[in-house]
Amino acid sequence: MDQDLDLMLRVRAGDSASFEELLRRYRVPLVSYFRRMLRDPALAEDLAQEAFLRVYKARARYRPDARFTTWLYRIATNLALNAIRDRKEISPAGGNESSDGEAELLPVVDSKPTVEQLLIESHRVWLIRDAIQALPENQRIAVILHKYQELDYGQIAKILGVSVSAVKSLFFRAYESLRVRLEPLLKGGLI
Amino acid sequence: MSCTEREKLFGYAQRLLEPREEHEVRAHLESCPTCRAAAEEYRKVDTLLEEWTPLEPSPSFDARVREAVEPSGASRSLLGLFGFPGLRWMAPALVTVLVVVAFVAVLHVRHGRRAAHAPAQASSMPAAPDAPSAPPTETMGGEEEVKLYQNLFMLEDYDLLAEFDLLSELPKGETKVDN
Repeated sequence: MDQDLDLMLRVRAGDSASFEELLRRYRVPLVSYFRRMLRDPALAEDLAQEAFLRVYKARARYRPDARFTTWLYRIATNLALNAIRDRKEISPAGGNESSDGEAELLPVVDSKPTVEQLLIESHRVWLIRDAIQALPENQRIAVILHKYQELDYGQIAKILGVSVSAVKSLFFRAYESLRVRLEPLLKGGLI
Repeated sequence: MSCTEREKLFGYAQRLLEPREEHEVRAHLESCPTCRAAAEEYRKVDTLLEEWTPLEPSPSFDARVREAVEPSGASRSLLGLFGFPGLRWMAPALVTVLVVVAFVAVLHVRHGRRAAHAPAQASSMPAAPDAPSAPPTETMGGEEEVKLYQNLFMLEDYDLLAEFDLLSELPKGETKVDN
């Protein structure tokens, strides 16, 4: 049996040490996931905390019918999407996606890095982050979940509620956009 | 190159193709430098994305998660036992123990307070030359003691006690002691 799934079943049975172990295993991946999905690091941590809280609260209802990571990232993805949509409601001018969730290839916010941001991450990483965060929601989720969180297409399909071939198509379109956006790095200008 | 073909090229670069398709694309790439360059570019994008390494949470993150989780489980039910199924049977027993402990504690405090008062009262009264002063507890009559029990504030505030999380299973207002 999947080790995480086993840990979650122990949490369900009342073993708080197993929850600690899940926290230890997924603190970095979850925080990274939210920080890749959103631009605000403080909000990303708040949402990662909320995701752990939801896992804990839902322990009694947990059913091991899917891999633990599928369940965990479904919770996380819903939280991230709600946060993104809430922000758009607050500032509709900041949004650049059409009603079907597809975005134009425009940065979500001003794409110039601040001095602080550049101190934290290199200019190259900043460009990569900017390119990924400018992707439409579903493409962004597919790329981040597959490339960084190491979920397979089947898991991503379950999380997004689409077919596996639709995920492959999302992934392809995302890479097409990234190829254009990251051209300066790919051509060796900044590499 | 058409979009469908590019998608196949992408599938090749990502190793997503079936063996037969993969063989076909590989054969095509040997004779087509444009497609070879495109496939290479997808691989470069993949490598480039890896530069964005995992991000560590702030030092207070774990503590914040524990704080958020505790009220809904371990500490909400005081002993951390009742958040989980199978241990709920212990709640009534614990409630009984707590009530008894509270009752004994109140008795103890009242008794101690009276013991402290009695010598003061005795010293303010003129002492009878031949009667030695008795200990304060012995001076209290049976009737007086019953009144004391009836006035215990803990029992008067039974409803308040019943509002406590652990005592919430007790029936409300049924055993209130009248003065």
